[in-house]
Amino acid sequence: MKLIKSGAGVSSIILLTLYMLMLPFFVYAMTEDEKNNIELYKKVSPGVVNITSTVLERDFFFNIVPRQGVGSGSIIDKKGHILTNNHVIEDASKLEVTLSDGSKWAAKLVGTDPDSDLAVLKIDAPAKKLVVIPFGESSSLQVGQKVLAIGNPFGLGQTLTTGIISSVGRTLRSPTGVLVEDVIQTDAPINPGNSGGPLIDSSGKLIGINTAIFSPTGASVGIGFAIPVDTAKVIIKELIEKGYYAYPWIGATIATMSQYFASVFGLPEEGAVIVSVVPGGPADKAGLRGGSRRLQVGNHILIVGGDIILKFGSKKVTDADQLIRLIRKHRPGDRVQLLVMDWDGHKRKVDIVLGERPRSY
Amino acid sequence: MNVSRKAGFGTHILLFVLLSVLLVSFQKQAYGYLQKELNNIRIYKKVRKGVVNITSISITYDFFYRPVPVSGVGSGVVISKKGYIVTNFHVVGNARKLEVTLADESKWPAKIVGIARKNDLAVIQVSAPAEKLTPLKFGDSKKLKVGQEVLALGNPFGLEQTLTTGTISFIGRNIRDSKGRIFRDLIQTDAAINPGNSGGPLLNTDGEVIGINSAIISPTGSNIGIGFAIPAHKVKALLPGLLGGWSKWLSYLFAFLLLWFLFRMIFRNQKRFY
Repeated sequence: MKLIKSGAGVSSIILLTLYMLMLPFFVYAMTEDEKNNIELYKKVSPGVVNITSTVLERDFFFNIVPRQGVGSGSIIDKKGHILTNNHVIEDASKLEVTLSDGSKWAAKLVGTDPDSDLAVLKIDAPAKKLVVIPFGESSSLQVGQKVLAIGNPFGLGQTLTTGIISSVGRTLRSPTGVLVEDVIQTDAPINPGNSGGPLIDSSGKLIGINTAIFSPTGASVGIGFAIPVDTAKVIIKELIEKGYYAYPWIGATIATMSQYFASVFGLPEEGAVIVSVVPGGPADKAGLRGGSRRLQVGNHILIVGGDIILKFGSKKVTDADQLIRLIRKHRPGDRVQLLVMDWDGHKRKVDIVLGERPRSY
Repeated sequence: MNVSRKAGFGTHILLFVLLSVLLVSFQKQAYGYLQKELNNIRIYKKVRKGVVNITSISITYDFFYRPVPVSGVGSGVVISKKGYIVTNFHVVGNARKLEVTLADESKWPAKIVGIARKNDLAVIQVSAPAEKLTPLKFGDSKKLKVGQEVLALGNPFGLEQTLTTGTISFIGRNIRDSKGRIFRDLIQTDAAINPGNSGGPLLNTDGEVIGINSAIISPTGSNIGIGFAIPAHKVKALLPGLLGGWSKWLSYLFAFLLLWFLFRMIFRNQKRFY
């Protein structure tokens, strides 16, 4: 009862605690947004490294000339693995990683995947020097949410830039001509040297790897692209284990069904035509046939007569890019049923066991 | 006893308040979004249906005077269920053919309804059914303040439905374009605006259109952090004229009456000298 009687006292204590809770708001007089930025920078920036790559080139007289490039990377575990872009470390003869405390470490390449423009490096720094940036989820991202990019633009180390997600689900063509799906578009300024650095959300989780920009000038115009972390997670795991990422393949060259041919030959307008099959490859083993005739239409030489893939598993195939997308969702060794049509209009079902794409292919 | 009960009740209320405050703050952490982000996300979801991509096909002539079709991209704001869309004059001005892509990726042909060349504004109309069109609300652009947050939606370099944010850098800027035309009273912003954003909306944090993105200053032709938008009150003032309708006939009537009085005065005066 005594406790209840002192109700006024209790309420004043509660009010006091409330006031003390709100005290930081009055003292710092910074917005929620600013405080979040500062907190995140303090938390995440030690996990961002600068990567200096030295590429040996030969000049006009065949003298060896070293050329240095800069990029960024994020520490992904306590063993010293660093995630970056393939184009940052490509052709490098020497890789040097600078941690946020200024210490420099020689790095060795663990694995690289040019098709998704990702690479993993390793440094032998002690675990206490390594601050890991935790992975987030990129599947539930919303347009409009805040993102922060930390990197090394033009060699200016540990630079923080902020922005929002401008769009999700863009498709980007990597330097090797392969499509990368679900790319995140952001208006946070991303410049040369930011490549390989992390894109983080407002809770400090890594949601993307800054990779490319759209720009007529070569510097940021407010359109930057990041590879989503969900795509990266799968690839990184294999890069660390095997040193490369095994892409599934069917062992065939495919092309999109041309509308013109479809109308002339009375074929379905949507589908992927097999141009050629690799001897001994999964498609060859499954009994799929490549093109048999060469046709010249205008300036184009087309190879016709190959089987047309209409369905991959239960999904309808609309064009060649989409078929590649569907294949990518599987792993080597998976058995998939295809619905195939030849140029006479006979449909048949074919079981195919996806193979592992040769690395030199 | 009564008194103590009352006091107990009071503490309960206070505890409840404290708990709910704590709960709210925990909830915020659970979602992982800041208030600002939640607002951006909400606005994007609400507004994106009212922003369209405009593809214009214009004809230019090459070195041998052969016609070459050139396609350009721009953005537009849906303003009514009848299919009226506000955009920039320079997006549609030279077009031979206009195609509008709505947010659901359906494509519709469009025709120009009205133009205001001096203000770089135009209204076009698509024949899409009313249920596909989501008109956007225009806000009060006279009460804007420098430093307030703005959002820009558009189609930069053909990357459709792109959202960018920034702040208002200045209000009431007058700029002169390369042809010497002067545009007055523009809103200056540092939200990334690029070629293709033209004609798209500049929004306040309530999701209301406060301007039509129309120009940038840049030595490179792409964004450097200086973009300009025509304020909404100017658009609203010009809209009746752009849409035509009765106001067009009213202005014809005024012109006719004016001429009538002018002629009558002239002839009256001349009569005296006969």
